[in-house]
Amino acid sequence: MTFEYVRAGDLAEAVALVSGDPDAAYLAGGTTQLDLMLKDGILKPARLVDIGRLPLRGIARDGDRLRVGALTTMEELAADPTVAERVPFVRVALLAGASTQLRNMATIGGNLLQRTRCRYFRDPAVPACNKRAPVRAAPRWPARRGCTRSSARASTASHYTPPTSACR
Amino acid sequence: MEAAPGDQGAQGRHQDRAGPAAVLLDGRRIVSCLILAAQCDGREVTTVEGLADHPVQEAFCRHDALQCGFCTPGQVMSAVSLLAEGRAGTDAEIREFMSGNLCRCGAYPNIVAAIREVAGR
Repeated sequence: MTFEYVRAGDLAEAVALVSGDPDAAYLAGGTTQLDLMLKDGILKPARLVDIGRLPLRGIARDGDRLRVGALTTMEELAADPTVAERVPFVRVALLAGASTQLRNMATIGGNLLQRTRCRYFRDPAVPACNKRAPVRAAPRWPARRGCTRSSARASTASHYTPPTSACR
Repeated sequence: MEAAPGDQGAQGRHQDRAGPAAVLLDGRRIVSCLILAAQCDGREVTTVEGLADHPVQEAFCRHDALQCGFCTPGQVMSAVSLLAEGRAGTDAEIREFMSGNLCRCGAYPNIVAAIREVAGR
């Protein structure tokens, strides 16, 4: 897989590079983007725009609000003293997820924009995922063999769940 | 990183469930299999080769904290960071914050013992 890598100099440049190009994608923490690109092979952007060094970090208290920059990592937010004191459930929830290594990379913005968890979407061996490759006709059901294998995955649903037009 | 020799990324399948790719980026533990070398431009990367007879490495040897060694670089890097993070106060804390590093050989008790020793307990 080859792609162009661009480090955005500022927010406006990042937006311009990605908004105008359907083959471009943002790169922040990378734990989802690179996972789906390099490991699952289901995302193939021609251009990756790295926004990781833009000034979008920081946690600041604003009266009764907490302003969290989109590039703040899970670990950074969990370690914030205001979070620990005022909204400890946020800290508990963050520390219950992933691993320290991943939490040091994964951003809060990326968490909110988490891609579809469906195994059919994330499995390149399932060609008929209606989200990855939308078809105008009625949704096609994957072959028995493919479904059975997906149903047996330990981390997902224990029963067969076919993709439906709702996956769009 | 994708350009690292040995391609540790080959072991961490699907969003790094195993952890052998643990390295330090600007002193913080991350996984090298989900980051591009280009993202690390100008930043400080420490791999296990960058440790020189670290107490953690010595403790791992003394406590037989490995069998096949596949997970060991990641365990060591993660443990070094764990100690710096101050998260080795109890065995339960060690296990919780080392949970991103899997060991198929099951050397966990000895890994925990090694870390416990370096933590000075």
